[in-house]
Amino acid sequence: MPEQSVLTGLRVLDLTDHKGALCGRILADMGADVIKIEPPGGDAARRIGPFLDDVPHRDRSLFFWFYNLNKRSVTLDLSCPQGTGIFARMAAAADLVIESFAPGRLAALGLGWDRLRQINPALILCSIAPFGQTGPWRDYEANDSILAALGGMLYVCGYPKERPVRPLGLQAYHSGCHYAVIAIMGALFARDRSGAGQWIDVSFQEATASAVEHLAGRYFGENDIPRRYGTMHWFRGFRVARCRNGYVMHSISGDWNTLLEWARGDGKAQELTEPQWSDDSYRRANCERLYQILDEWVKDKDRDQLAERAQTLRLPYAAVRPIDELACDEQLEARGYFVDVEHPELGRTFRYPGAPFRLDATPWRVYRRPPLVGEHTAEILGGELGIGAEELAVLNAQGVI
Amino acid sequence: MANLPLTGIRVLDFTWVLAGPVATRILAAMGAEVIKVERKSGYIAPRTGIHGDLNRDKLSIALNMSAPGAIEIAHRLVRISDLVIDNFSARVMRQWQMDYESLVKIKPDVVCLSMSGFGHTGPRAAYVSFGPTLQAFTGFTLNMADEHGRPAGFSYSYSDSAAGFTGAMAALFGLWRQRQTGQGQFIDFAQFEGLVSLVGPSLLDLTINGRSQKPQGWRSQEAPAAPHGAYRCRARGDDDDRWLVIAASTPDQWRNLVRVMGSPDWAAQPLFATLYLRMRNHEELDAHISRWAANQDAEDAMAKLQQAGVPAGLAANAQDCCARDPQLAARGFWPTISLPEGGQTQVCGIPFKMSHTPVGVRRCSPIAGESNDYVFGELLGLSPAERAELIEKKILWP
Repeated sequence: MPEQSVLTGLRVLDLTDHKGALCGRILADMGADVIKIEPPGGDAARRIGPFLDDVPHRDRSLFFWFYNLNKRSVTLDLSCPQGTGIFARMAAAADLVIESFAPGRLAALGLGWDRLRQINPALILCSIAPFGQTGPWRDYEANDSILAALGGMLYVCGYPKERPVRPLGLQAYHSGCHYAVIAIMGALFARDRSGAGQWIDVSFQEATASAVEHLAGRYFGENDIPRRYGTMHWFRGFRVARCRNGYVMHSISGDWNTLLEWARGDGKAQELTEPQWSDDSYRRANCERLYQILDEWVKDKDRDQLAERAQTLRLPYAAVRPIDELACDEQLEARGYFVDVEHPELGRTFRYPGAPFRLDATPWRVYRRPPLVGEHTAEILGGELGIGAEELAVLNAQGVI
Repeated sequence: MANLPLTGIRVLDFTWVLAGPVATRILAAMGAEVIKVERKSGYIAPRTGIHGDLNRDKLSIALNMSAPGAIEIAHRLVRISDLVIDNFSARVMRQWQMDYESLVKIKPDVVCLSMSGFGHTGPRAAYVSFGPTLQAFTGFTLNMADEHGRPAGFSYSYSDSAAGFTGAMAALFGLWRQRQTGQGQFIDFAQFEGLVSLVGPSLLDLTINGRSQKPQGWRSQEAPAAPHGAYRCRARGDDDDRWLVIAASTPDQWRNLVRVMGSPDWAAQPLFATLYLRMRNHEELDAHISRWAANQDAEDAMAKLQQAGVPAGLAANAQDCCARDPQLAARGFWPTISLPEGGQTQVCGIPFKMSHTPVGVRRCSPIAGESNDYVFGELLGLSPAERAELIEKKILWP
């Protein structure tokens, strides 16, 4: 048995689709027993690519793997009374249910909060929905792109007046799932005192809006509407420049004199010695010209040498790298970030991204590879819930599991 | 305060700028007593705007960590705190003897969360970084290219927000274990690694399939969809920067979209007959949709499409979100708080509701040092004379 981790012993029923799957994944990484409840045939996320070796198959979706490492899987048809009956029995012995159905759907299945709290007063229910469980847009439909749009994230990505650039990765979902984990931990603290569970209502739209740092502060504080500024940071401290073999991120957020001396040492940027440039607010107000001068200075430099030299001067420059370089990044390598996970049924071992943070006494770890569809149905419903072999056979024949 | 999730938990907060304050803002909203350690300079950070939004619900002490004798005071605060949090690079807290190894000797069950850029080990442990540089270094800036292939990325520090959320989670995990076992620990959270973890399934396509990752543009990153894009809409007043995102995956969504557009002839062409064909011919499809959208008001079109069951959403700007969005307004997402100097301001709410222990914004952001009397007087029990002496010695700012 592995040592006790942070959430060892916490029993979680994960009803989420691809939108909410990261929430259970993070809890599972911290040691919770997260049981993914999939409809017979498997979670729709298993149909989302990319696929292993580009062969579409429900047990080869890298999308599903990313969000479901460390979970177990049970198949259960919640659209029939036998299925909801079994779920109710599972809920009686669980600490937490996470769901991302359309609002009202769980209640329509007879498994709403009022019912679940009767079954188990200590149960925590976490509902994550595009717009939350209330309000005029409650029943509106959205994917991650639409949530990025309505959360204010999309509008500020890209070049002025041109088509906004779609953020990479499902960041609206990720933000919502982060907040779901945070709320769940809060509910555990509260339950520790009161013994009672509660219902958490997370809105992906709100989570997205709260991840756009300058949205509310600029609007309510300065009556300003931030726009798109290309690669320039809205506070003007950073902008991308082309260099000899790629791109670098300029920064005027470090020590100005250090930067100036360096550029002048290269015989460049003489114009910046004019006295007005020593004023930070002048620099920000005239940042277009400033970055033009700095761009001219770095255009023949080597990307990595430039970034390294800047770091020795404690200037926050960075190489602008493609995602691909993460696979051979020396910092990630030195810290052992990527981990190998064995998939015995395929006879292969794959590299997964590892711990997003390191708790030294209770480390993040891989407990099990992502589950095959219904891999643990018999072990959980039979062994742990105590449903007999005969009944399991009948449920299987009826398509309930 | 009694019925908040984190009632009774005290956080000594050395964070600054963005990622750290985002994390402690969440803990504060959930009822933790967050004591922000600040320097006092001529500049007084306002209670409104971004600084106010980040630091509401916190207490502030003005403690000069560089002054001789300050560390002893800081250590006394650690003894009555559950969590010590910072987002410096590794060396700063060590210099102040505020690193985990020093603190565990005086407070055995302390949880220390360090939110540095690259972590406490490895060749880049000492690197200086900010959100935009981490985004560039991870690959977001280059792989979020525009349709002409120019790198774009975020024009803000998404990395700091995400690191704030991740840091809050890590803090809660450390605190929960402390509550359950009485044991503290050190948490080394490298914001870079947190951000890498959010790249998503593309990472596995890279490490497992070995596929080079190209900018994905407007291709759906989840269920296949076509149309799937942002389409320019009619100007609103003199604002011609209005865009509507539309995503149609299912046959019903496509049918309903066509109906809302008035069933134009082009939509009946065989080249748009199936989802696969619509994806393959998406450039022609996008051109048609763009022509339709150009005559639509973005918000009206969104409402029409949503009422017909088609996923659609306005690319909302700050004013749309903060002042015009009926959903965010109905859920009270922009709470109003009053300012002690008079007047009030609105801030960003907390994106979840809890049925039994409601969390939320209670107090505006403090001025640096505003909580000195409470923290040093009531919590540490220093007499007015002792506090005056600390001010004399330049350990505290008045």
